[in-house]
Amino acid sequence: MATLNDYTAIVGEEVIGQLHRLAERLGPRRLVHINSTRTGGGVAEILSQIVPLFQQLGLETQWEVIQGDLAFFEVTKAFHNALQGQDVRLHQSLLNHYQDVNRENARKFTWEADFIVIHDPQPAWLINEIRSRAQHWIWRCHIDVSKPNIRVWKYLREIVSQYDASIFSMSQFAQNLPHPQYLIRPSIDPLSEKNRDLTPKEIKKVLDRLQVEQDKPIVLQVSRFDSFKDPVGVIQAFRMVRKHVPCKLVLAGGEATDDPEGPRILEEVMEAAQGEPDIQVLLLPPDAHHEVNALQRAAEIIVQKSTREGFGLTVTEAMWKGKPVIGGAVGGIVVQLRDYNTGFLVNSPEGCAFRIRYLLHRPEMAKRMGKLAREFVRGQSLITRNIRDYLTLFSLQENPGSRVIEL
Amino acid sequence: MKFDPDKLAENPFWFRECFLMTMPLGKRAINLRELLQNLREVDESVLYYHLLQSRLALTQPVVEYPNDFALWAATALQDIKLAEKLSSFDPFDYDNMEEVRGAMVDILEEYLWNLPSVPWARPGFEFHFCEASMVVIRSETPANTLKEFCQGLRKVGLDSVYYHFFEARRRLGMRHIDDFSFWIETNFGLPELVKGIRDIDIYFYTLKEVRDTLLGFGHQYLEELCGYPE
Repeated sequence: MATLNDYTAIVGEEVIGQLHRLAERLGPRRLVHINSTRTGGGVAEILSQIVPLFQQLGLETQWEVIQGDLAFFEVTKAFHNALQGQDVRLHQSLLNHYQDVNRENARKFTWEADFIVIHDPQPAWLINEIRSRAQHWIWRCHIDVSKPNIRVWKYLREIVSQYDASIFSMSQFAQNLPHPQYLIRPSIDPLSEKNRDLTPKEIKKVLDRLQVEQDKPIVLQVSRFDSFKDPVGVIQAFRMVRKHVPCKLVLAGGEATDDPEGPRILEEVMEAAQGEPDIQVLLLPPDAHHEVNALQRAAEIIVQKSTREGFGLTVTEAMWKGKPVIGGAVGGIVVQLRDYNTGFLVNSPEGCAFRIRYLLHRPEMAKRMGKLAREFVRGQSLITRNIRDYLTLFSLQENPGSRVIEL
Repeated sequence: MKFDPDKLAENPFWFRECFLMTMPLGKRAINLRELLQNLREVDESVLYYHLLQSRLALTQPVVEYPNDFALWAATALQDIKLAEKLSSFDPFDYDNMEEVRGAMVDILEEYLWNLPSVPWARPGFEFHFCEASMVVIRSETPANTLKEFCQGLRKVGLDSVYYHFFEARRRLGMRHIDDFSFWIETNFGLPELVKGIRDIDIYFYTLKEVRDTLLGFGHQYLEELCGYPE
């Protein structure tokens, strides 16, 4: 497990010193994070990294995961889709089940805390059951809720309005809520298995195992098999590029344990890829971090052609590997990528194809953009910044009504 | 002009570091008229955020437009002429945020008056209003001399440069006066150094460039180098 000092070589002593000073001034606090899965998806990944670091800073920190049956996760996936704009009808019986599962989980929690951070809608109802267990309840939304289905949002808003504060990944995700809203952009851990440096030998070993040949430049998209990631659009773009330039497309997808839609999307992808020998689809287990790392480092170009996105951490990971990234102009991707600087933003398969061809023909530009991208991530998107934001938020929440507080 | 770098200040300088949190309001503008309406009504802190804090404190990739309003005009409205007008708008030309608000409202009113129709933002690119809250921590060791001050300035984070060089102007209520020049003036005099600092055209500088410039000035007044980059 990494210690805070291990990050010094990457972010510098000053940054680590600031975290210690913030935590010291805040004082010993009890913190609980609750989400819906311990493996798979960005939230679980972030929590597995930050929880130990909070502990090292002197905060007594626990990570709880609510348990649910398939029906519960069907409901919460429907929430997820509805909050991202899909037309979803949720019958009262399903909402009752959602509440019941939260109630059951609440019964098993015995801790008390100064701060509790609830991640996304799955555990949000808990506040109705165990409000008194924590002084400050904070709702952390990781989803793009810029245009939610209004019925579902109204239901969720009733719950979330009871919280003391909310956190969103982008300013456009903020809502009309009766409490302070904060912006905390997600981050990556540069020392994790997914992001640490790899030797050429390590990379080759993974590619050999996955049977990915490096005979042509690799264009890679890494994401869950989810309609909002538009893997079929990426295949369309690749087919346009392939007419002109020899290259290979690798689509590597993982499945989160709370995502019942994955198999259907995968089937659509396999159908779209049929007949093209230079397209490779890899279904990876949720903990295939080492493999993802190797694939990203082996790729010439990385694509994240989302049509809806929370923040887009796969973009951040790719940027950290010093690769040019072509991303859908949505969500948090637009904050990370600037054309001809840290990457390219695109709005269609044609746009994606155009930029892929450009980068394959301009390797010097690709290299320059990769370097700028890495430095952007170092300053903005590493886990140390995420922890700093949480510590700052906790300090502000303990001093309500002031916009500037001196500790 | 040489100066004794070990001359003690009457009042030591306490570097402070600051940690900003962006706070979105859940309020947005979907076209230029809504932007104008909101600019008339929002708190000064919101204007301050979008004109200064966003660019300086968040350290975005280098972009063409120096404030959020100009960037929005260019990317969301795709109105380059308006983006240019808003880019050359310098909030430091005004004594306080109310005057800044008045000037911005004037620009937009006049611009809208001459347009045949109201420009709308592209879908997904609406302007989202934010402000910031800040936690400040005072350092444990003060700078008692100009030499110690330069050494400290070299070591502190850029958030400290932001707090003392930009945020100070709002705090002190004086747009040309920052913590650094104020401390030097009140403790050592050194009118040339003070004037040099206050004459820095900060509009285009990043925080790193501000620090490098300040350290360069310090070098002129101290016998020992205090880490000015070659």
